[in-house]
Amino acid sequence: MVVDGLEPGRVARPENAEQVAEELRDAAASGRAVVPVGGGRALGLGDPPERFDVALETRALDRVLELSQADMTVSVEAGMTLEALNATLAQVGQFLPIDPFNAPGHTVGGVLAAGLSGPLRLRYGSPRDFVIGLRVALPDGRLVSSGGRVVKNVSGYDMNKLHQGALGSLGVIVAASFKVFPRPLHEVSVETRSEDPWREAARALALPQAPVALELASDGRLLARLAGTTSGVRRLVAELGWTEAGPDAWEEHARQSGAAWARVSVPPVRLREVVDGLPAGARWWASPGVGAAHLDAEAVRAARAAAERAGGSLVLLAAPVELKRAVGAWGTPPAAAAWMTRLRDAFDPKRTVSPGRYVV
Amino acid sequence: MPLPRSVLADLRRIVGDHHVVHDANDLRIFERDGSIAGAVPDAVVLPANRDEVVQVVRLAARLGIPVVPRGAGTGLSGGAITLRGGIALQLSRMRRIVEIDTRGRTAVVEPGVVNADLQQAAGRLGLFYAPDPSSQKACTIGGNAAENSGGPHCLYYGVTTNHVIGLEVVFADGSVEWLGGDAPDRVGLDLLGVLVGSEGTLGTITRIKVRLVPLPESVVTLMAAFPTIEAASHAVSDVIGHGIVPAALEMMDQVTIGAVEAHYRAGYPTDAGAVLLVEVDGLQESCGELSEAVERVLRANEATNLRTAADAAERELLWAGRKGAIGALGRIKPNYYLHDGVVPRTRLPDVLRRVTEIGEHYRLPVANVFHAGDGNLHPNILFDLREAGIMDRVGGAGEEMLRAVVELGGTLSGEHGIGVEKNAFMPWIYAPDDLEAMLRVKHVFDPAGMLNPGKIFPDPERDPRLVVRAGFCAEAKWW
Repeated sequence: MVVDGLEPGRVARPENAEQVAEELRDAAASGRAVVPVGGGRALGLGDPPERFDVALETRALDRVLELSQADMTVSVEAGMTLEALNATLAQVGQFLPIDPFNAPGHTVGGVLAAGLSGPLRLRYGSPRDFVIGLRVALPDGRLVSSGGRVVKNVSGYDMNKLHQGALGSLGVIVAASFKVFPRPLHEVSVETRSEDPWREAARALALPQAPVALELASDGRLLARLAGTTSGVRRLVAELGWTEAGPDAWEEHARQSGAAWARVSVPPVRLREVVDGLPAGARWWASPGVGAAHLDAEAVRAARAAAERAGGSLVLLAAPVELKRAVGAWGTPPAAAAWMTRLRDAFDPKRTVSPGRYVV
Repeated sequence: MPLPRSVLADLRRIVGDHHVVHDANDLRIFERDGSIAGAVPDAVVLPANRDEVVQVVRLAARLGIPVVPRGAGTGLSGGAITLRGGIALQLSRMRRIVEIDTRGRTAVVEPGVVNADLQQAAGRLGLFYAPDPSSQKACTIGGNAAENSGGPHCLYYGVTTNHVIGLEVVFADGSVEWLGGDAPDRVGLDLLGVLVGSEGTLGTITRIKVRLVPLPESVVTLMAAFPTIEAASHAVSDVIGHGIVPAALEMMDQVTIGAVEAHYRAGYPTDAGAVLLVEVDGLQESCGELSEAVERVLRANEATNLRTAADAAERELLWAGRKGAIGALGRIKPNYYLHDGVVPRTRLPDVLRRVTEIGEHYRLPVANVFHAGDGNLHPNILFDLREAGIMDRVGGAGEEMLRAVVELGGTLSGEHGIGVEKNAFMPWIYAPDDLEAMLRVKHVFDPAGMLNPGKIFPDPERDPRLVVRAGFCAEAKWW
């Protein structure tokens, strides 16, 4: 359980939410630093922690708390893996469209805290759009809930949003409720290779109904997922004219990661110019309709400058400590960083959770 | 309390002589919004742009004057009411559609832009803005963002927070930040996400960037009648249980149907116990396949009088009845009061039974017209304000209905906001620590409590109702 070369003094394996809260309370009281660990798939994200006393492993919190098929909602503990959750949902014809890279093995809590998403974001949005409730252990040891188990909710502040992508900096997610989706009535994956893959991608996105996922890689390969009714999908497949992809295409695609890799996030219309600026031979894969690209972290400086010029960012998902120290994991601080720091002060004044790792 | 002359003079210097309202009679126009709450502001200020908003907010902060942002005043939870007096910051002069980017499919608007005006402008370019509150002909995008508004088509497309990608916000200290942007992931805490739906208590929204969606190739609108509201509720669950999420799935009960038919002649059968409006959209062939599947499910659930809108005009008419339903209820009684609690969809029959019982108990007519697919109720309690003592009955019935919603695992509000009318009930759904966490956010952004004071959070010192309600909390159980 090494994070950026640091080893924890102790590994805690809480079995329930209360024990997570207790670990945080104790750590805060004694000035120790805790790094939450789910499936360990995103431990490379962020700057090197300043201190690392306790690894807080959440994998024992792996229960489905409530699955309501007819309401299409599910509540689960944070340590459950996405694969296990989707296997459960598949039994009732439903699924949760969260498909991060560096799969399998992401936990629900980990993927939410790290703010990761994947190709399906094109159709379904990011988890931000379908998380309906969270339970969070605050650094002072309180357990708090936000949202609920209904699909529409404006009762009080939308605290669910603050904890997603916050890397535990306001508290550790111990359970989450989601709006889930019915499996598409019909679905076909198709692929092609093209001399002009961006043009081909644009053609796919301009179909009368866009693919639910569309990926483009540096080797010129395009992969699309078309979903809907049988007759609708048949028409889209015909209009696009690509060949059917193998059954494991998406699973293989989701396995991609790197020892040193980064995520570029820019307005979709600017993605091509950023990717075109990468050095020849660089390995990358992108979601043109979303505005996201993942790449090997060579030439990070130039790519980050291009991404920020385009109104976006480049974040290191994993990198050698020297590189992280040289360029920083997050890039130019966001404009509202002062407000973010004040929020962090209100929730984690002693920087108990992963000190130094997050943006603020 | 009227503001001192010197303050009014300062405000006039900022926004111009004609844009400060302080005459007692004129102020009464701004006493109310769409709710039953009311409070007369000390002054109404109409800024023309962000810089004027900043100056007004700075002045108010220096003098300790509360500021309440206000859009069209159509809100249903008292969000725009100046509960503790102060300045109503009326944003209707800021009504420019700044930009519509057809390539990036986004629009940038000022807060006073009316929802329907944005729809129209986007529609001309083959795009649409999905959130469509029933008040869309009047309500503003700024108000929609502040309240995280919904609408019939949010079932498939999502509510306002799913479509707002950027906000320019003037904070309580007068500082300005642009939150969010076009990139899918942003570095740092999601301040945008918490500002949307914060009801003007964290900052004043001065510009909004929204995502637009391409108009679907085809749309099919179905209307079906049911003998009872229970049968219609089961049909709702059954449609979605078949893996079909329609663009919209709306229900009206018999009381509503009667009023709407008398007014709009939309063609709803007046002898039905309930009517469902179902809309599917997408590819032409998909719409055919989906609407046939929906029809089969509806028929299996006792549907009669099944009708598909033959053309755009007929579809408009079916929707006009739904969107104008609350206005049409004026035929029955001059006043209405409605909550918008949400239950898990499968609890609709239970909660509607309770709503009927409560209406009967209080001898008040209740008209249900609501977003059934989301489980989002709108029981309209109909009454005549001139009847002595009526408000106690109306308030009592409303409270019991919300209590029933919460007891069935639901929440207080799906799209109207908490405002002043439901803040006393917040302890029903949140434990003290949950509310304390929200208050930390409030205190970070508005430590002096000058922005829209008295909203969202329960205030036991000022609200005697809280005493009555102590001892009940159905906050989410996480086992």
